[in-house]
Amino acid sequence: MSSTTATLLPSLRALTTRLFSRPSPLPSSILSKCQFSTTSPTLALSKASIAKLGPKSQPGKGSSKASGAKGGQTTRRSKRKGEVVRDPRMINLLRHFAILSPQRIPAPLRMARNRYLRHWTIHRAWLLFRRQQREAREKTWMRQYQSMNRACEELRLTSGPGTREEGYLFRMAMEKKGVYGLKGVPIEYARAQTETPARVPWDHEWKRD
Amino acid sequence: MASVRALSRPTRGLPLSQISRQTSASVRRWASSQAAEAPLEDLEDSALGAPPLSEEEKKTFRPWKRQADRKFALPSGRYNYHAPKYDRGPLHPVQPLPSSEPTARDFVPGPFNLPRLRQTYLSTVASDIMTLTYSHIPPGTPKKEAPQRLREWDDSSPYHKNRSLRAPRGAPVLPLIERDINFTNIPEIKEITLAAYVPAALQDMDNLLVARAALLAITGVLPEMTKTKTNVQQWKIRAGEFAGCKVTMRGNEAYEFLDRCVNLVFPKIKDWRGIKASTGDSSGNLAWGFTPEELKLFPEMEVNMGMYPPKMVPGCRVYVKTTATSDRQARLLLQSMGLPFYGEVKN
Repeated sequence: MSSTTATLLPSLRALTTRLFSRPSPLPSSILSKCQFSTTSPTLALSKASIAKLGPKSQPGKGSSKASGAKGGQTTRRSKRKGEVVRDPRMINLLRHFAILSPQRIPAPLRMARNRYLRHWTIHRAWLLFRRQQREAREKTWMRQYQSMNRACEELRLTSGPGTREEGYLFRMAMEKKGVYGLKGVPIEYARAQTETPARVPWDHEWKRD
Repeated sequence: MASVRALSRPTRGLPLSQISRQTSASVRRWASSQAAEAPLEDLEDSALGAPPLSEEEKKTFRPWKRQADRKFALPSGRYNYHAPKYDRGPLHPVQPLPSSEPTARDFVPGPFNLPRLRQTYLSTVASDIMTLTYSHIPPGTPKKEAPQRLREWDDSSPYHKNRSLRAPRGAPVLPLIERDINFTNIPEIKEITLAAYVPAALQDMDNLLVARAALLAITGVLPEMTKTKTNVQQWKIRAGEFAGCKVTMRGNEAYEFLDRCVNLVFPKIKDWRGIKASTGDSSGNLAWGFTPEELKLFPEMEVNMGMYPPKMVPGCRVYVKTTATSDRQARLLLQSMGLPFYGEVKN
């Protein structure tokens, strides 16, 4: 169990950040249900608990019917006659979702005045910083757009080169051949930026061995 | 402000609270802790130290005066608020705190990183898309008016007067009209939704459990279960039964998911040509699918395949929703993030 949760944990941001920082032991009720030698508790875990575990699921008409009729059809291997054994992997997954269920979210953080004010100050500063960054970005884009606009207007009113009539360069600049085509973006361009980029941006000669 | 902060120093020696008692106890010397004391002293001096107070500062410090002059009461020194455990709806007087509050139940600290795809987008791709698709409109050009796509009533009845216009024939949803890209509407990724339909869950609920676990592992967001909408006898489905799950990622998570797809999953798929260029709903939302075998190529699944019964792992659909107003703009965005397209272009 511990190894599986450890591999899953880094991806479960929202819920498990708090679970991870303040681990609480599993209640004895869940642990006792995971004895997979008995019949009725595993079946109780199988269907009804899945239906309950969903974030917005209500035990409605259809689900209750299904759990009543097909409760015994979950994966099982009968080793001896009359004994139902559930797949331990399923029990593992069920325990995982039981931990993540909204009923088991840990208590909220408690903050008194000073700690709250400290957090509030840092939070406001962070928001301000993000806002400044965003505005700087938008300002750059706006300046780029406006200078493109000015340059194109200049081209439109220019004649030449040589004996070309007015606006020739502008028409050439406004040709959008292949911009929206499937080869519009070279693959060397479409790589996420890294601190240590490769010497060769794209190895076109590469072949699977 | 610095003087006020410094004032807590003289009170540190007094055994007022449990915390101060603990610190005074830790001051006692132990043979084993002698080596560890030097770095702590460094810390005190370097980071958290404050200059000692002058006589004048001590005289001007009057907390009772500040308390009396304050117009609004500060939050009390003791904890006395507990965020409500349940969201009882928008009309209930007790409302949950916004998730940005640290004392809210769904508070998540962070973000702690900037996804490199997002960084690439913000620094390079966005302005390049804007430049690439720029089309100049000379000043004084009359504005193009959007066509009226809603039908009018034929005035055969006096009740047609003042009615709102009729919906278009056929589809109830109007696709967006493409807008030119300028610096305010550069297309970006809004959200990515993964959805898996698991009809086998009608027979055996474990299939749905595995599907939820797989989507959870891949996306890091708790999936939501979906129900069948219709009765179909031949497929043995009834309306209102759980037969699938879906997950929506926004912001950084969406960028990281796309990064994983582009750099880790797609290169591993055998004979993969790219994404079909005919995808899209003509409003800037593109989609593709993963078969069960392809879903197992995600690193989160690969490291832990022993957790799932391999036959139960589902395939899923991936919907990338962008703020682009047409498919070709969305394709341009995804192409510049490393997704190749192939085949016939529809929109």
